[in-house]
Amino acid sequence: MQPRHTGASLLTQVEVKRSIAALTAPDWLRLHKVARALCRAAAFDADDLLQEAFQRALDGTRQCARTLDIVHFLVGVMRSIASDWRKARKRRPEMSLVTETGTWQEVVLWVRDTRPVADEVLMVNEEAARLREAIFALFVDDCLAQRLLEGIMDGLAGAQLRSLTGLSETEFASKRRLIRRRIDKAYPKDWTP
Amino acid sequence: MSQKNKGQSPRLDRLTDTLVEDILASSDADLIAEAAADNDEGATLARRAFERASRTVRHRRIAPNKKSPPWRRPAPPDIRALDPKTARGWLDAYLASNPETAGALDRGGRRDNKLSDEDVYGLLEALQQRGVLTEKPIAQSRR
Repeated sequence: MQPRHTGASLLTQVEVKRSIAALTAPDWLRLHKVARALCRAAAFDADDLLQEAFQRALDGTRQCARTLDIVHFLVGVMRSIASDWRKARKRRPEMSLVTETGTWQEVVLWVRDTRPVADEVLMVNEEAARLREAIFALFVDDCLAQRLLEGIMDGLAGAQLRSLTGLSETEFASKRRLIRRRIDKAYPKDWTP
Repeated sequence: MSQKNKGQSPRLDRLTDTLVEDILASSDADLIAEAAADNDEGATLARRAFERASRTVRHRRIAPNKKSPPWRRPAPPDIRALDPKTARGWLDAYLASNPETAGALDRGGRRDNKLSDEDVYGLLEALQQRGVLTEKPIAQSRR
């Protein structure tokens, strides 16, 4: 169950704006990298996802608890938006993305997005299998990385995932980073090489 | 859809989640080094997205009514529902904070109670149409 927050336990809109404006260069980078990772499976534009998350944080649509790190808060907002956009595409494939041009519902602009939806592509069995093979092929020289990748895709996490490899925490973190870096380079925008 | 098909997308979702967790866990120094190695302008792009979002939110706050269609825009107060004394008070308040307009009226010999009630209502309506009149709630039954 989500904890309930009173007004005092939430950042005000001015505080949210100040917190975001005060982010460091690594934090901006972190946010953009997360946006790219979330958009890879959905063919959304990372800049659009980030801008939408900032807007919802700034206009108070999404509220940040004082105890929550602002970067983690924004990542949560991005996850939620990406999920909503993907669901919207499934419901209305003929007019997927919705761009709200104003605060009033009557002036919502429906933008037709003709790009293929990643989920639809993945429903084609051969295509999904090809992608999975391609990702594993990136680590053909690294059995440990492949084992880790298999565990990740099977839903393992934390100590359970690490126990698959017998690596120390530091080695495990390095291996996970290696996986991320290779995938980032091979698939900079979406799951198309 | 086969069970195999159903399982493909969640597998990629779990991979994405792990990649995101790794980004959040990466040190600042590592991220900076990665960006330098990849010529990654993500920090600049993210900051620009924030600036665009700030402008959009600010614009919505400043001019919400201009965005709304006419049938949703609240109707302006009916100036003629004011009683003549209140209307004259509104005009005086406006002229007090806008001496140039007051000067123009003086030069035209239209001040010092030489304005008829009709003149006062007309001026207030003109100011209202120009969007420069500070309007207050009007009790519509005053007149």
